[in-house]
Amino acid sequence: MEPLLQLFLIFLKVNLLSTSGPASVGLLYHEVVGKLVTESQFIQAVGLSSVLPGSDALQLAMYIGYAVAGVPGGLVSLAASILPPTVIILGITFVLHRVRREAWVSNFVEGLAPAISVLMIFTAWKIFQKGGATDWRGWAIGIVSLICMALKVPERIVVLIAAIVGIFLFP
Amino acid sequence: MNQSKFSVWIRLLWMFLKVNILSPSGPASIGLLYKEAVGKIMTEAQFVEAVGFSNVLPGSEALKLAMFVGFAAGGIPGVFTALLGAILPPTILMMVVASVLQRFQHEGWIDGFVAGMSPAVAALIIVVSWELFRASSRKKIDRRAFIIAGLSAVAFWFDIPSPIVLLGAGVLGVILYGQWSH
Repeated sequence: MEPLLQLFLIFLKVNLLSTSGPASVGLLYHEVVGKLVTESQFIQAVGLSSVLPGSDALQLAMYIGYAVAGVPGGLVSLAASILPPTVIILGITFVLHRVRREAWVSNFVEGLAPAISVLMIFTAWKIFQKGGATDWRGWAIGIVSLICMALKVPERIVVLIAAIVGIFLFP
Repeated sequence: MNQSKFSVWIRLLWMFLKVNILSPSGPASIGLLYKEAVGKIMTEAQFVEAVGFSNVLPGSEALKLAMFVGFAAGGIPGVFTALLGAILPPTILMMVVASVLQRFQHEGWIDGFVAGMSPAVAALIIVVSWELFRASSRKKIDRRAFIIAGLSAVAFWFDIPSPIVLLGAGVLGVILYGQWSH
């Protein structure tokens, strides 16, 4: 399949099935890694989108799109990520009151959330394993990062410092 | 009339440009947006509703929130103005960073950079996953959330495609949460 069309369909699907940027990481991993981008490119995409200001989800989409097919790839991924929420919002502003009373919509989302968290844990493990840092250095960075984030140090600072530490620890 | 509409759009565009340059992600932008929008272009109740809806509907959270605020302030044109303001900063930044990094892809230090970043990225994903799980059963520690999580874990273990697992989890949510609440 044409890579641009492939990107478009993947981001359409991911944005229909997940409710926020960070939650889409698990799903996206399964769709693109090994098919369109390498493990290393995916890690760069997730890391950088959490470091740079602005919407995570859009930056993740654009980085992956760019890695696959340059600027057109980035723009196609952006368009596909924007389309589902835009159409839905425009639709919903007209039927706002009816949808609010439909309990099954919120039940569906409530059911989705635990599954997405599990998917993300699987993804986290895969990223850790295939990121090439599974010796003591990788575990040390991972555990220290986890502790810092649990202590509410801003994520982007943790990710950035970890990457810089990586340059020195993995020469 | 036209003059005042035009100034609403400019104001929206400027507001979202500012929020998206200053905040790193969707959830983080809520606080900033609250200060910018509530009492000026929309009421507190409208804002709470907008946040609620952007959590429930599919797609990027930050975008949906931007569009709801845009709609409250300036109708359909407001939606597109807010969208433009929310998209512009991350697009420009990411395109620049992506093009620079792709050029360095074969340099040695990139490997160390990625190797250091991957454990932190894994930690980041775990933190987000925990927050998501906690938010999904906020009222009480919910047995149903654990049932769905357990079944999903089994399904992922056996490599069942993730969109199918997620759809199944949603349907299970409709069944489980529907029965108990009636």
